[in-house]
Amino acid sequence: MDKITYRIKRFDGTREWFQEYTFPYEKNKTVLWGLIKIRDEQDPTLNFTSACRSAICGSCGVRVNGNAALACKTSLDELLEIYQTSTLTIEPLSNYRVIRDLVVDWEPKLERMKEVKPWLIASEEKDLSLGFIQSEEEFHKISNPTDCILCGCCVSECTQHSTNSQGFYEPFIFTKSYRFTIDSRDNAPSQHLTPSLEKGGLWKCVRCMQCVTKCPKGVRPADHISGLRKESMGLGHQQNKGARHAYAFYDDIRKTGRLNEMTLPLKTEGLTKTLSRRIPLALRLLRKGKLNPLHFPRPVQGIEGVRKIYRLVQKEERS
Amino acid sequence: MLNFDVVIVGGGGAGMRAALEASKEPDLNVVVLSKTFPTRSHTGAAQGGINAALAYKDPTDSIEKHFLDTVKGSDFLGDQDAIEFFVSNLPECILELDSFGVPFSRDEKGRIAQRPFGGASSPRTCYSADKTGHVILHTLYEQCLKQGVKFLNEWFLLELVVENEEFQGLVAMDMRSGEIHAINAKSVVIATGGFGRMYWNRTTNAFNMTGDGTAACFEAGIPVKDPEFVQFHPTGLASTGVLMSEASRGEGGYLINKDGERFMSRYAPEKMELGPRDLVSRAIETEIKEGRGIGQGINAYVLLDLRHLGEKKILERLPQIRQLAIDFENLDPIKEPIPIRPSCHYMMGGIHVTDFRTSSTPVQGVHAAGECACVSIHGANRLGGNSMADIIVFGKYAGLGAIISAKNRAPGDPTKVEKRTRYWQEHFAAMRQKTTGNKVVTIRDTMAETMWYNVGIFRIEKEMVHALHVINQLLEDYQDCCIGDTSQYYNMAFIHYIETGNLLKLAKAVAMGAIARTESRGSHAREDYPERDDRNFLKHTLITKTNGQYKLDYLPATITKYQPEERRY
Repeated sequence: MDKITYRIKRFDGTREWFQEYTFPYEKNKTVLWGLIKIRDEQDPTLNFTSACRSAICGSCGVRVNGNAALACKTSLDELLEIYQTSTLTIEPLSNYRVIRDLVVDWEPKLERMKEVKPWLIASEEKDLSLGFIQSEEEFHKISNPTDCILCGCCVSECTQHSTNSQGFYEPFIFTKSYRFTIDSRDNAPSQHLTPSLEKGGLWKCVRCMQCVTKCPKGVRPADHISGLRKESMGLGHQQNKGARHAYAFYDDIRKTGRLNEMTLPLKTEGLTKTLSRRIPLALRLLRKGKLNPLHFPRPVQGIEGVRKIYRLVQKEERS
Repeated sequence: MLNFDVVIVGGGGAGMRAALEASKEPDLNVVVLSKTFPTRSHTGAAQGGINAALAYKDPTDSIEKHFLDTVKGSDFLGDQDAIEFFVSNLPECILELDSFGVPFSRDEKGRIAQRPFGGASSPRTCYSADKTGHVILHTLYEQCLKQGVKFLNEWFLLELVVENEEFQGLVAMDMRSGEIHAINAKSVVIATGGFGRMYWNRTTNAFNMTGDGTAACFEAGIPVKDPEFVQFHPTGLASTGVLMSEASRGEGGYLINKDGERFMSRYAPEKMELGPRDLVSRAIETEIKEGRGIGQGINAYVLLDLRHLGEKKILERLPQIRQLAIDFENLDPIKEPIPIRPSCHYMMGGIHVTDFRTSSTPVQGVHAAGECACVSIHGANRLGGNSMADIIVFGKYAGLGAIISAKNRAPGDPTKVEKRTRYWQEHFAAMRQKTTGNKVVTIRDTMAETMWYNVGIFRIEKEMVHALHVINQLLEDYQDCCIGDTSQYYNMAFIHYIETGNLLKLAKAVAMGAIARTESRGSHAREDYPERDDRNFLKHTLITKTNGQYKLDYLPATITKYQPEERRY
C-alpha cells in the first residue's frame, strides 16, 4: 500500500459533508499523524482538537470507521490490517453536539457531571492541614476510575446513552460518581451516588461493555456502574426495580440454579404493575408455547455446586 | 466589554490553583480564561511526581536539604530567598492537595508515597503511579467546580493592554463564535505554561505550548528573564519525543549505549542515572556524538533499560510509561529496552516575576505563575518534581497577589482596551480575507529546525548567530502570512498563526540570551565557553521589548546562604 485516504466528516456550522484526502503511507504512524499531515500540507481549514499526543489530555477522541478512538494512540497499521482497506472514515464523536468538523462541545456534559458532586467531600471535623491516612488497598480501589481522561470515547459508543441520552448518564459520569462514593477519604458517599440512581438511570446499563472496550486508558465504567449498584443496595436502596430485579436473579439461581421467568416480573415490578403491563405479553407468549404457567422449575443437576459458589463468595466478602 | 475583578489566563495547574485562592474572596468576580478545556492542559502530562520534604520515605530528609538540592540543581542561579520560601511552603501545599482529594500512591503506613528523583539527596518526590500531573490537574478542576469558579473555555488571549506601566485589561477571542472581546479587570494572573514548541517536533510538550501569555507580557513591555535556559529532558522517545518520566530512572532504570555499557559512570559516578537532567542529557548527546549511540544523525538514540525492575514493579509503578512505549515505540519495556533521546522539555525562563510572595511582575496588576513565569527558583536547571511543586506554591500565591491587586486598584481604562479590541477585530477580518502570503507551517518548521540545530543542547557562537539571523528573517516573513481559512467559527488556522508568532518572538529572546551568556551554566552548555563564570554571569538575563527593539539587561542573582561551588554528582 502506498497511499491512505481519510474520508472526513466536515461541518462548518450549517453545512455537513464528507471530504476525501489522500496522502502517502508511512509505517508506524497514528490516526492523529494523518490528521495533522492533512491540516499542515493540504487543508488548513480542517479542524480537530489535539494537544499532548501521548494519550493523557483527552482532546483527540474521534470516530474511525464507526468506532470511537483516541486519534493520537491509534495505530494506522493496525486499522489498515483490521479493515483491510486504505480508506478510513473519520467522524466526530457521537452523542455530542458538533462545533466544527471534528470538534465537539463538552460544556453540557460537564454541567451534567456536576450533579454527582465530582469532588471530595471530607468530614467537617477533619483537620485538612494534616492530609489523610489512606491504605494502599483503599488507594487501589480509586486507581482505575481516576485514570479517566475525559476523552468521551465511552459516551460515543454507549448503547443505552445513544437511545436514551436524557435518562442515562454518560459512562464517565458514573465513573466519577463511583470514584467519590468509594474514596475512603470521602464523608458523603450518598451525595455522589444518589444522583446516579435517581437521575442517571443506574440500573439501565445493558452491560454491552462498549465503554470498557472503547476506553483508551483501560478504565472500566461498566464495572463502576456495577460497583455503584452494589453500593446503592448497601446504602439501603433496595426497593427499586433494578435492585429487586437483581435480587430476583440472586434468589432464583441459589434456589434452583436457573431463572424462573414466570415470577421474575412479579418480583421486579410487583403484582399490580405486572398485571397491568405484562398480561398481553404473557398471553402472546402462552399462545406461542413459550410460557408454561404450570411449570415450576426444579433445582438443576449440580445445584450443590452452585450453592457452594454462593457460600464461597459470601465468605470472601466477609473476610 | 466584559468586566471582572480578577482574570486568570490559563486553565492548567497554576491557573486553577490561583483561581481556587482568588475565588475564596466572595466580593471578587473571578474568571479563568483557557484556550482549551481545562483538563486538556499540559499539567496533565507531568508524570513522575511533585517534591516536598515530608520526610516520610526518608526521616533524615528536611526542608534544608530540599533547599540546598534546588540551589545546587539551579547551578547557583536560582534566587535563594525565593527557593527557601518555595521549599518551606511545599509540605503544607501537598497536604492541601491530599485534602482536595488527589489520589496519591500510599506507603505502608497509609501516608503519601515518595520516590527518588534526579538531583535529590533524599527520596522526596510524592507521586500517584506515573500519572501524578493528570490526577492533580483533574482534582484541581473538581475543586474549581465545587467552588463554582467561572470558566471561559476555548477563549484565546490576544493582547495584554498595558499603558504607563499599569494594567488596563485584555483582548481575547471566543474561539467558537470568533468574536473578539474587550475584557476589563483590576488584576490578571498569567498562567499559560511553557513554550517548548519553538523546537516543534523535538519536544515533550503538547502542540499548544506556545507561550501565549509570556509573549503577550513581552509585547506589553514586561521583560523575559533567563530565556536561554531551556531544559532538555534526557528521556524522550526516540521517534516522537513523547516523555518517558524521570520516574523510570527514579525507580532504578539504566541508561545504556550501543555496547550495553551504563555510560553514566563516566559523567556522574556517584548518582549515575539519577544525575540532574542537564547533566544526563549532555551525557547522552556526548555518547551519540562519539559514536556510541545507535543509529545516525537526528535519528540516533541510546537505550533506557527497565527490564531488571521486573514485571511487577513496572506494572505497579510505571504503567503509563509501559503503555506509551507499547503505543508509540511498538515495544514492551518489560521485555525490551526503550530507544530514547533528549527532547526540549521545560523553559526555566519566562515572565520576569519581581516579588515571589505575590507572583507580581514589574507592571502593577499583572501576576504570573508556573512555567510561563520565571521567579527564579529553577535558575539554570530545574530539578525533576519541582515544576508541579512550582505551580502549586506560586499558583496559590499568585491568586493571593491578584486579590491584593484587585482590592487596591481601579479597573483599567475601557477606551484603551476597546481601541485595541477594534484593532484585533480588523486584523482577524483581514487575515480571513487574505489569499496570498507565506505559509504559517513553513515558518514554524523552519524556526524549529533552526532552534534544534543551532540553539540546542550544545551551543556555539557561530551557530547561534546564524539562528538569530534566521529568526529575524522569519519575523519579517511572518508579517506577510496567509492563514488559508476564511471561517469566523473555530478558526484554528488563525489561532495557530498567532501561536507561531508568539513562539518566534520568544525564540529570538532565547537566541539573544544564549549568545550573550558567554559561559556554561546548568542547561546552557557553550562549547566555546565550557566553564561557569561566576564573576561575570552570576546574574539573570532580562530581555525587554521597547519600541520594537529587543534590549538586553542583567540582574544579580540573590545569594543568601549557599555560596557557589563546583557542582558534582
